[in-house]
Amino acid sequence: MDKHRIMVIDDEKIVGDMAKLSLEQEGYQVETFLNAEPALKRLEEEKFDVVVTDYKMKGIDGMEVLRTVKDRYPATQVIMITAFANLDAAIEALRRDVHDFFPKPVKIKELKASIKRALGKQG
Amino acid sequence: MKRFAVHMRAFFRTLTGRARHRRSFEQVFDNFREVLERNNRSLEIITSMGDTLGGDYLFDIQYVRRSYEDLHAAMIGSIDSFTRLTQNNYPQLAGVLAGIDARIRHGIEETFPESKDLVFPYERITGERLHDVGGKNANLAELRNVLKITVPEAFAITTGAFDAYMRHNRIFDRIGLPLEGGALPDDQLRELYELVLHGVMPPELSRAIEQGVQQLKPRCVGCSIAVRSSAGEEDGAFSFAGQFDTVLNVPLDAQEIEKAYRKVIASLFSGKSSVYQTRLGLQLKDMKMAVACVAMVDAEASGVLYTRDPGGDRNNMVISASWGLGAVIVEGQAGADLFTVSREEEHGQVGARIGSKSSMLVPAAGYGVVTVATPVEKQMQPSLLPAQIAELARLALTVEKHFRRPQDIEWAVDRSGRIVFLQTRPLSSVDDRPPAPLEHHDPVRPVIARGLGTAVQKGAAAGKVHVLKNERDLDAIPRGAILVARHDSSHFVRVMTEVSAIITDAGSPTSHMAALCREFRIPTVVNAAGATDLLVTGQEITVSVDSTGATLYAGRDQQLVERASQDESTMEELFEFRKKRYLLRSIAPLNLIDPLRDEFTPQACRTMHDILRFIHEKSVSSLIEYAEHGVRSGTVRLDLPIPAGITLIDIGGGLDNPTHVSHVPTEQVTSAPLRAIVSGMTHPGTWRSDAVPMQVQDFMSSMLRVPDLMSDSRGGVETNMAVISGEYAHISLKFGYHFIVLDCFCSTNARNNHIYFRFTGGATDIAKRSRRLQLIAQILEHYGFTMGTKGDLIVARLANRPQAEMLTVLDQLGRLISFTRQLDAVLNDDHAVTHYVQSFLDGSYAYAGSSAQS
Repeated sequence: MDKHRIMVIDDEKIVGDMAKLSLEQEGYQVETFLNAEPALKRLEEEKFDVVVTDYKMKGIDGMEVLRTVKDRYPATQVIMITAFANLDAAIEALRRDVHDFFPKPVKIKELKASIKRALGKQG
Repeated sequence: MKRFAVHMRAFFRTLTGRARHRRSFEQVFDNFREVLERNNRSLEIITSMGDTLGGDYLFDIQYVRRSYEDLHAAMIGSIDSFTRLTQNNYPQLAGVLAGIDARIRHGIEETFPESKDLVFPYERITGERLHDVGGKNANLAELRNVLKITVPEAFAITTGAFDAYMRHNRIFDRIGLPLEGGALPDDQLRELYELVLHGVMPPELSRAIEQGVQQLKPRCVGCSIAVRSSAGEEDGAFSFAGQFDTVLNVPLDAQEIEKAYRKVIASLFSGKSSVYQTRLGLQLKDMKMAVACVAMVDAEASGVLYTRDPGGDRNNMVISASWGLGAVIVEGQAGADLFTVSREEEHGQVGARIGSKSSMLVPAAGYGVVTVATPVEKQMQPSLLPAQIAELARLALTVEKHFRRPQDIEWAVDRSGRIVFLQTRPLSSVDDRPPAPLEHHDPVRPVIARGLGTAVQKGAAAGKVHVLKNERDLDAIPRGAILVARHDSSHFVRVMTEVSAIITDAGSPTSHMAALCREFRIPTVVNAAGATDLLVTGQEITVSVDSTGATLYAGRDQQLVERASQDESTMEELFEFRKKRYLLRSIAPLNLIDPLRDEFTPQACRTMHDILRFIHEKSVSSLIEYAEHGVRSGTVRLDLPIPAGITLIDIGGGLDNPTHVSHVPTEQVTSAPLRAIVSGMTHPGTWRSDAVPMQVQDFMSSMLRVPDLMSDSRGGVETNMAVISGEYAHISLKFGYHFIVLDCFCSTNARNNHIYFRFTGGATDIAKRSRRLQLIAQILEHYGFTMGTKGDLIVARLANRPQAEMLTVLDQLGRLISFTRQLDAVLNDDHAVTHYVQSFLDGSYAYAGSSAQS
């Protein structure tokens, strides 16, 4: 069976690096991006099961990523992470069918569990 | 003398208006509690940062900034409260905090100020200079200055000198490159290299080097210098093993050293090192290089020591050794001796493989080094004696203990047999976890070889073999190949991101290449004799490396490879992660451990945690001082079944219904620590009511002793008194000729809790009094106290224990106080000490001539 594909978008390298390392240990195939533009381009080429995106980024932000993914690839689940506990953003994201919303620092174990749930939801 | 100083301080305080007695003890105690609360806040943030940066959380720089701001604010709060409590007795502490703060902020923002000093003699290098002098210089200077281990005479040329050189020659302007991101094209890199190599020395740098040379000359007559890079980070973020040029045997002459210096710093931009840097995501323009100018050791033998065997049993160390200079080993060119040595105290040899050592490196006449044939009679002779091996191992463990990580140490033995350390750095990627079980391989897959060679990096890989005949052909190696070569070489770094495993016929697990393989986690074995004959280019194989060496299977076994790679990686291997974690090094470790040692000073604080430790300890001391001197009124007498006569001063919560009474029974004491102590003091059998008969010399001794042993117990205050609150008790007792001070804070927060116990004096002769101190010390040690003794004074401390445990210990202390009151009179020999320690611990309190029941 092919590995599940996970995309991580965060403008800080450390977040992508750590996510990639820990999610690959779970057997996922992980690609990381430092900004959303090339990430969205990549989504045009390849199907990803879950997109983990930072909320606040230069250029296209996390909410825009969520909107685009949900419009174009409704089966792909989106998990949003943010530097601050931002209630408004969380409500907005939930309205747009975000799978999960985490303030940073994010416990990797919880992120893994959330991804597992997202994959279940996706069927 | 000390007493005089105390009085003079008090006198000047009166003159300068810093009168301590103006504050009530209640105010001081509130202040003390404020210090504890603020310290706790700081410690909570430190703990939380440690957890979050420990690898279980995704975090970003915003988190680091925010947490650090909180911590800094809390630390300022701690120092403010502490300054008030001690009435600014430690004004240096704020400056110490500022220094650590600057270091952390530079770390967070990755902006380090330029070093103003261009050259540093080793004796002046301190921990704070790490960024200026680079890892190699800093570690070597630490061995010399702190651990007093022999290192060569040396000086450092700083990163500030490097900046000055680059600026003076306008290197980056002339290259005219936006050096952000990615590797430079080869031609531009070459241009950069040439510009640096042929640049002009800034006059101030030439002067500084000349000065360094002149200072070295009298201590290093006739010596020559090894000019080496010192670019690795303070704790080996990346090893840079063998990535930069070293110029050996340079005459001790400023111009010659300048020439070598240019060569070494230019190597920062050589093709070989730039591949490595790009691989780590480093930007060329951010790279700086400090340089070490180290006197050459006239080496009889030299080599490398790993304090843990990275490829085998972690309870062993490995030592590679060869005749002459050590470069042959780190470049993996000679058949070196390989000793496996136990880490246990005797450091016995677990294994030894005597190499052929056919060639050796020696200083050439005048300049540089030359490889010569090893005299035949020495070739198969071990290059180290067993005693030297044991001594090396002992020194190496001292270094490991100091740096708190396994170490990779370069060493030499000079012609006089003296061991000299040439470099130490953290041993990269020593896997502390048990090796992944790899034995479940496909049983039908044919095995080509088993137990081959010495493991360097465990793991598994599959691919097509490429047997390298000549290093010039390195670039021809296809991606994913298994590199098989005769020797190991640090040049392999060029293909390290391409190849999936490395097998060499000869080589050393302590070579530069080995360090790089571990860093890049490339499954690797060396000393796999005959591998180049056994395998042919194009052959598809699977390599599995564990502590027994490599097993080679015919064909590709992807399952085995995946199983081996799972859970192999740790966050520590992520460069960005390590960078952030380094910040904790100036925050979390505790170096200031023993308050009884001389270096327990503000200046000795190297981390935030050290500062908090210092504050806590000195706050307790301050509180004790106030309790002894500052309490005057509001006293009430404690009714006890023993004639101990204790007067109480309740500063809040220490007594139940304390108003307007002159006597209180013990039942009315609500101070938890005092209740425990009193319960111990009055424990049946501990207080001996009859007088123990004194011998004549004891009586004479008591007559000669001045009862006023401690000027602290001033007239006007009851001799036996206790300042108490619900959680606190400060008890000052005088029984005949001996004095006890017991200060304790005992709350539900273990972190705040402390017991301070001081015992001095006695009526008997000095031998008996000393025995009583020995007995007390042994019993206190049993309960986990740390202590110091001086003459007939013992000072003991216990801290950070949970409340229930503190109360148990206080009860025991109460018993000890009663038990030892007259015990010295019967301590006629050392045997008696042992006997009564045991009987006390067994709960038996009777002693010679005693009418007391136990």
